[in-house]
This record gives sequence, C-alpha cells and structure tokens, in this order.
Amino acid sequence: MAIFDVMGPIMIGPSSSHTAGAAKIGYLARCVYGKPVQHVRITLYNSFAETGRGHGTHMALLAGILGLHVDDARIRHSFALAREQGATVTFEEVLDPEKHPNTAVITFTDAGDRHPFVVEGISVGGGAVKIVGINGTRVDFSGKHNLLLVAYADVPGMMGIIGDRLAERGVNIAYAQISRDRNTRAAMAIMKLDQPCPDAVAAELKADHHVTDVVTIPRLGVEYERTEED
Amino acid sequence: MSAPKKTEATVRPRRFRIHGLSDAREYMKTGHLATLGEFFVLYEATNQDLPRSTVVSRMETVLEAMRQSVSQGLAHANTTRSGMIDAGAARMDRFLAEGGSLLGTGFSTVVRNTLAVAENNACMGCIVAAPTAGASGVLPGAYLTVADNFQIPQSRIVQGLFVAGGIGECIALQASLSGSQHGCQAENGSASAMTAAALVSLFTDDPDAIESAAAFALKSVLGLVCDPVAGLVEVPCIKRNVMAAVNAVASAEMALAGIRTVIPFDEVVQAMGRIGRDMPVSLKETSLGGLAATPAGLHIAEAFRKNAGLDQDA
Repeated sequence: MAIFDVMGPIMIGPSSSHTAGAAKIGYLARCVYGKPVQHVRITLYNSFAETGRGHGTHMALLAGILGLHVDDARIRHSFALAREQGATVTFEEVLDPEKHPNTAVITFTDAGDRHPFVVEGISVGGGAVKIVGINGTRVDFSGKHNLLLVAYADVPGMMGIIGDRLAERGVNIAYAQISRDRNTRAAMAIMKLDQPCPDAVAAELKADHHVTDVVTIPRLGVEYERTEED
Repeated sequence: MSAPKKTEATVRPRRFRIHGLSDAREYMKTGHLATLGEFFVLYEATNQDLPRSTVVSRMETVLEAMRQSVSQGLAHANTTRSGMIDAGAARMDRFLAEGGSLLGTGFSTVVRNTLAVAENNACMGCIVAAPTAGASGVLPGAYLTVADNFQIPQSRIVQGLFVAGGIGECIALQASLSGSQHGCQAENGSASAMTAAALVSLFTDDPDAIESAAAFALKSVLGLVCDPVAGLVEVPCIKRNVMAAVNAVASAEMALAGIRTVIPFDEVVQAMGRIGRDMPVSLKETSLGGLAATPAGLHIAEAFRKNAGLDQDA
C-alpha cells in the first residue's frame, strides 16, 4: 500500500467502494467506449443493487460515464447533466450470486451501431476498481497503467506486431493479456504500458486490416485523482 | 546535529520494506532521520518512485481538501434522504456560539468540525478518505482544529499528515483499514490512532510519544463493530467519528504528558486484526446485526428502501 492510498482518495462521499469506485467504473467504461454517449443501460448487481440508493451509486456510475472524476461535486447532479447532454439512461438492479458483490454492467447503445457495447466493472474496495469484461471478452485492468486495447480478428502474429510498433517508439510493455471469444474468434489484446501509448501507434494499428478497434487510455492517476497530481 | 549529515543517496535504500512501526523506527535510527514524518515522506517518494517535492505537494493538496471539507460541512444545515442526519454540525455551531461548551470552546470545536466533515461525506460532499470515507471526519476535526488553535506552520501540519498516513500504513500492513474486514475498530479506530500520532508530532519529535499516542487511541476502541443502519454511512458512523476525534486528543495529551504505552503499537494492531477475524460477519458492515438490527434501525431501513429514488435532485 502507499501513504496516499491511506490518505485518500479525495472524493465525493459517502462510500469509497459504492460512490468513488462506482464513478471510476463509469469513467473507465466511458474511456473504453470512446464515443459520445447516446443511450446507456446500467445494471447494478448485489450490494450495488441493495445499498446503492443510499450511497449515490446510480448517480456516481452515471457521473463517471459522463466524464466526471471522483471528486467532482456535480456527481449528485449527474441525472440533470445527462439530460443536458442529450443522453438517456435506464437502470436495472439484479441479484446474482455468481457476480462480485459490487458489480456494474454498462451497456452503451448508439442508433448508428449494429451491436450494443458492453463494459463490466467491479469495485474492490477503497475506491479501487477493475474492468473485467468488454463485449463478453474477459479482461482485467484497473486504470493504474497506461492502456492500449486492440480488438482484432484472431490471426497469428498480432502480439508481435503490437510489440514492434510500441518498441519502435520506445514504449515498454509492463503486462500483457490476450483473450479470445471462442465463437466469434474475436480477440482482444490488453497492453499495460510504462508510458502512454503514442497516437501514431494507435493509428498504425488501426490501419491493419485484421484490427477492428484500438483504444488508448492514459493511466488515471495523473489527472484523475487529485492526490495523484504532479 | 552532531552526526555528519548524510546525503539522501546514502540514506535511501532502493525500496523501504517495513512490516510495522518498529521497522519504520529502525530505518529512522539507521538513516539518521530526525522525525517519523520525514521517514514516511522518504518512504513514499522511494517506494512510489517519485521526487520528494511531488510527494510533499500531494500532501499539501490533501490538506487543502481536508480544510475545504470542514468549511463545506459547516456552510449549510446538512440533511440526508434517510432523515437520519438533521443538521448536527449546524446545531453544534449554534451551541458553541451561545457559550454552551462544557469543557471550553476547543473541545466543542473538535466535536463540531468532526460532525461537519462526517455529515458532508454522508451528503455527497467532497472529503478525503483518511483512511476511509466513513471515518473521514476524524483527522480534519481533531488534527486541523488543534493545529490551527496553536497556529502551527503549514509545513509542520503537512509533516504530521505523513505521520498519520504512516500509522495508517502500519495498520494496513498488519491488519486492515476496512470495516468489512475488521469492523469499525479498523476504520474509526485507525483514524483515531493516526490522528493521535499526528497531534503529538506537532509538539514533539519523540517517536516513543508518537507511538504511545497511536497505541492508546487504538487500544481504547478494540472490538468496535461496524453496524450501519440501513447500510448507510450515517448512524452510528457520524457520532463514532466524534468519539474517535475526542479519543485522539485525549490519547495525544496522555502521551505528551509522558505516559507510555505498555503494549507496543504493532502488537496492538495485531490484536486488532485477531479481534476483527474473530468478529461475526453480522457485525462487519453487513447491516445484519448490532444497531442495524434494532427495531428502530430496521424500521428506517424498510422506509428508506421503499422511498429512496435514484436521483437525489428529483
């Protein structure tokens, strides 16, 4: 643990897991989705469903989806903010013992898209979160690293290509995961990087005809949490 | 200083590995560091691979956010949708202004400011979770009130926050800071120990005094359960913040008077962890026992479930 994990985060109350963690899940989901929000369905599971109302969990999830940080006083006004931005939102509350106690599944739909975009996150305590699913693919990242997510049709050599592009610009990979959907053969590579992913790398990867989507997310620490500011 | 002043490079290992406060104090001695606060500045800078100045400026940001959490909590009458919070800080403010204090205005100001922050947290205001959101009133309520009373310079207040954070780190390393793992002793109890240690550090660098204050504060709340009514961070959490703040000041005064703990702080922490593990799940943030399971508590929970909307503005 770090001293600033004890002395922080600076956050909107009342709960680090159910308010700050919820806002962070929403924020990461927004980053992964990467488009203006038209309609979003938020499904809260278990403890989020049972005690979320008293902890502002619904407001916090929505606030994060709209781009607010954990210490933003506008979290409590996120419903009004969504209306202003023209985004519509629906909620579901579900009990499912198979899911982590603090789980949220966020489903983005856009009139222009054939399929909804689904992000699943869990709040693991003290404001720390994990994104555990993207469109049915199992993933595992927290926002503590710079991220490069590459969705592609599963072909040999993709990891090599991604690694080469990053190495050419001096970016080091700290951790890497790949997962694949058995049925669709859609694959996803998640690279946790020591430096932010350069735009040029994202553009080069996007140009590869096997690649369907590229998302880069700078580590949340630098600008997301005020205690992390340099 | 009589010993030759060592440069940072010779003092700092590549990474500090501590298991508790005794290790931290050992590093302090071998590194010729004058204060525990300075050790924890170096600890954070080294282990997180950050410049010292960055670590200090982050703590200044934390201090500023704590100050704002007090003024925000005092700015208006705080109420929550459950109906359980009814302008406690505002009432205490009036009581103070009307000369009602039983033990002088300093004591009542600690009570008022702690309420202000804990209520601000319950009302979705901005706070510093130190160590948790549920115990966020203790440090600003007791530590900042005393520091301002004595017009302590900002740099010393910031150093004290590193002492507080270091004590919290020592608890996290040996037990937990989470109510769902060890009950309220781990949340408000830890906050109380952190605050007591930080308070002492404002007046003496003696690590024996700092350690004793932290030990006194934690010993007195061992076994405290986490039993929030309706699962909300309101009853009894907010008043327990006040208890923890007042307990911190008393513990600090005893330590400054030269009273020393019989049980070393690390052993108190380990006892807290064992007690937490022995505690039934019903008393660890599940709202299945204690005050949450009283008729009044259950009644509030039921009414809240029926009536609470999703949108606070609506």
